[in-house]
Amino acid sequence: MVVLAALMVNFALPRLAPGDPIDYLVPPDSGIVDAEQREAMLEDFGLHGSSLDQFGRYLANLTRGDLGVSVRDGRAVSEVVVDRLWWSLLLVGTAVLVSTVLGVALGFAAGWRRGSRRDVGLLAGVLAVDALPAFFVGLMLMLVFSVQLGWFPVYGATAPESLTGLAWVVDVIERLALPATTLTLVGLGSVFVVARSSMVSELGEDHVFMARAKGLAEDRVRRQAARNALIPVSTVALLGFSTLVGAATVVEAVFSYPGLGSLAFEAVRARDYPVLQAVFLLLSLVAIAANLVADVVYPLLDPRVRRVGSR
Amino acid sequence: MALRPGTRILAVVGATFLLLVVGAAVFADVLAAHPPDRASGAPYERPSAGHLLGTDDLGRDLWAQLVFGARVSLFVGLLAAVIATVTGAAAALVAGWRGGWVDVLIMRVVDLVLSLPFLVLVLVLATYFGRGLQVLVLLIAGVLWARPARLLRGQVLKLREFGHVVAADSMGAGQVRILGVHVLRRLVPLLISQFVRAAAVAVIVQSGVAFLGMGDPGRVSWGSTLYFANNGSAILTDAWLWWVVPPGVALTVLIVGLAFAGFALEEWAEPQLVGHGWRPPIHRRLDDDRGSEPPPGVALAIRGLSVDFDGSRVVRAVDLTVERGRMLGLVGESGCGKSTLALAVMGLVPHPGRVHGRSVHLGDVDLRRLGRRGLQRIRGRELAVVPQAAMSVLDPTRTILRQVAESSALGGHPDPDGHAGTLLSRVGLPADRHRAFPHELSGGQRQRVVIAMAVANRPRLVIADEPTTGLDVETQRQILDLLDELRIELGMDLWLISHDLPVVASRVDDLAIMYAGRIVEVGAAGQVLGAPTHPYTSLLLDAFPSLDGDRRGGRPVPGEAPDPMALPSGCAFAPRCEQRVDRCTHDEPDTMSVGGTLVACHVAGSAIDDATSLGGTTP
Repeated sequence: MVVLAALMVNFALPRLAPGDPIDYLVPPDSGIVDAEQREAMLEDFGLHGSSLDQFGRYLANLTRGDLGVSVRDGRAVSEVVVDRLWWSLLLVGTAVLVSTVLGVALGFAAGWRRGSRRDVGLLAGVLAVDALPAFFVGLMLMLVFSVQLGWFPVYGATAPESLTGLAWVVDVIERLALPATTLTLVGLGSVFVVARSSMVSELGEDHVFMARAKGLAEDRVRRQAARNALIPVSTVALLGFSTLVGAATVVEAVFSYPGLGSLAFEAVRARDYPVLQAVFLLLSLVAIAANLVADVVYPLLDPRVRRVGSR
Repeated sequence: MALRPGTRILAVVGATFLLLVVGAAVFADVLAAHPPDRASGAPYERPSAGHLLGTDDLGRDLWAQLVFGARVSLFVGLLAAVIATVTGAAAALVAGWRGGWVDVLIMRVVDLVLSLPFLVLVLVLATYFGRGLQVLVLLIAGVLWARPARLLRGQVLKLREFGHVVAADSMGAGQVRILGVHVLRRLVPLLISQFVRAAAVAVIVQSGVAFLGMGDPGRVSWGSTLYFANNGSAILTDAWLWWVVPPGVALTVLIVGLAFAGFALEEWAEPQLVGHGWRPPIHRRLDDDRGSEPPPGVALAIRGLSVDFDGSRVVRAVDLTVERGRMLGLVGESGCGKSTLALAVMGLVPHPGRVHGRSVHLGDVDLRRLGRRGLQRIRGRELAVVPQAAMSVLDPTRTILRQVAESSALGGHPDPDGHAGTLLSRVGLPADRHRAFPHELSGGQRQRVVIAMAVANRPRLVIADEPTTGLDVETQRQILDLLDELRIELGMDLWLISHDLPVVASRVDDLAIMYAGRIVEVGAAGQVLGAPTHPYTSLLLDAFPSLDGDRRGGRPVPGEAPDPMALPSGCAFAPRCEQRVDRCTHDEPDTMSVGGTLVACHVAGSAIDDATSLGGTTP
């Protein structure tokens, strides 16, 4: 249902907008192509016929995994997109993982002693880091660690010369470090805030009182509170996925990282509709998939949801 | 509502940052000598008196770009936030108030917008609909409205239920006005915080779009300055210092300002949103020699225990004893301080509460002389509790077997799981329920689990605080029978606390009656029930059908329980007492022995000639 809606939005958006990709590629008054050639080009790109025809063809092709041909360089869109998908998954996946773990740890630490100096300090620090625009963080990290200190390569996902084996892995990690750190800092705030308030409200629950009353040491009480506070955090962490996918566009642009975000950006500039559509579709599907994962993870953390169906 | 000191710092910093940006925007023409978007010098000039921050690759003044950039950011932030918040609020009101398919449709759209990657969506839309700043504002608002819509709808739904109550209460013309006032008052805090948040996101998105070079080509903003800096490879030279850092810091200042101000506003407008965290109790260890030797033959001896909350005394100089082998019942109206007394004994009075007292002896150990860790080691081993609201005290995420085994492990059992299984079977849970989660059990079963946890280490004393609240009569009886059996079987002592006199009366050996934080009468149960000396005890007995079948009862105690913040002078019970004399309203009675029971009452005291004042209980 949501997927279908996403497909329709995805299909409709470019066509609603003013401008024609062929006009963009070949200005209409330049006289390079005549009307007949124009029609042929439209057909090549699947842009002929009525809107309904186009949508039907679009869906049919989609089921075959055919996403059309890039207007820019004539490569199959699916090929172009898949090349970039892995780098995006690596980058965004790393950032989601690290920012979730770090955000939860800091958020719980702050919420456990709410109102203490540690809490206010962490809160102010995280809100401030959260406020830094992604590209500024990226530029600053690059400035300090790549340009001034020279610890990391400046851009790209792999070295231009072909490396193999361990050297390749090391190179990939080195080039991943700064963009992933940037994106982690972008995602940290929302996880932190939710983890903190979730911990605070959990501490008011009766079961935490009971944990103390039955004689558990403070670290055991804390573990029990944390286990329960984790439940609402899981949803937010996975929903943050789509925010990070968006922010990745900027971060990839700063570090010239060859992910889907920078592909979208390139496609936007070139009015490469098929590629843009494919990227947007893929990103939407990733976001929807994150929602599904949240639905699966939730019952693992909360037995109340887990067993309801089986009783 | 006053802000906490930490929040106040955030509010001040946030306001200062915002004023800085607003000031720059308002006085941009005065502050900058050059136009921001036309060349006023040579390209790549270093900072000088003429160009404070030098020039960019086209010779444009960077200082001018910085101050004029504030205008663009504020314009985008405020306008997009206004549109997004108003649209979101409208959608939420329509969806929440109309309900039905309208609600479903709107919320589907909201979910869709929320799940799409944000910045990419704006970028894509900007490509199709043009790059002008006004268009961008609309696009950003078109993506941003979904979040406030979702949050506000939840509030509207709550208010709608509330609205029905108001509508039922207030008939006629005032109704619409009352609803309007209530709805607005309740929505305003959320509206404010969502507005501030939307403004911050709008600023970030606009600068992101501009940084990618996709912004309004005719408009210079902080993002576009950084775009040209990035393309001009400013960070590879020392130009980063005046070309990259200032606009980045400016953006940060604006967004931090919005974030801090938003956080403070949220806490100011709706303090309960942030909630009151539980803090470990303030526990002061007594180091002097006052107090007393442990009385012999006693399970628990409380001497002079008081608890204060924010200046009001909810437990007042209580003396109470659980004799070894004799079950004690403590009865009083809700709010009389009986649960707080139990918490004070356990060392678990929540945060602002303060405990004073001479001594609390458990056997021969004075709990008042133990530190926090020492008390923690006593709990669950020597002293156990079956708490109030036992229905909700189990950890929802773990099986009951694990939770009972956790208690067993505290006592050092070699096989906690096996021991827990035995315990659960003993309290009446069939073996196939041992690996159930709390939510899969009935209230009575959960209560049994809590009892199993309490007795796991054969404590000296179990405090059962309203152990049967919320259970049906038959289950109440079973639970109390179980406690009684276990008491005898394991050789423990039991202290039963309840607001329900009949529940307690037939089971206990000693009975104490509590009123407004004081023990007003205590003695052997038969004596207290058979010949009550305190007027309150008599009235309590009258409130229930008599135990021997004589139907004289059913009359509730007249009047209301006093507010511990404003106790009446003299005897706290005097305003409700039918036998009061002049003295009662200005002179608090001491505890004295009257016919074998201890009682705090002038009338009962003067009735008996040889009344012996025990003195010293007036705080």
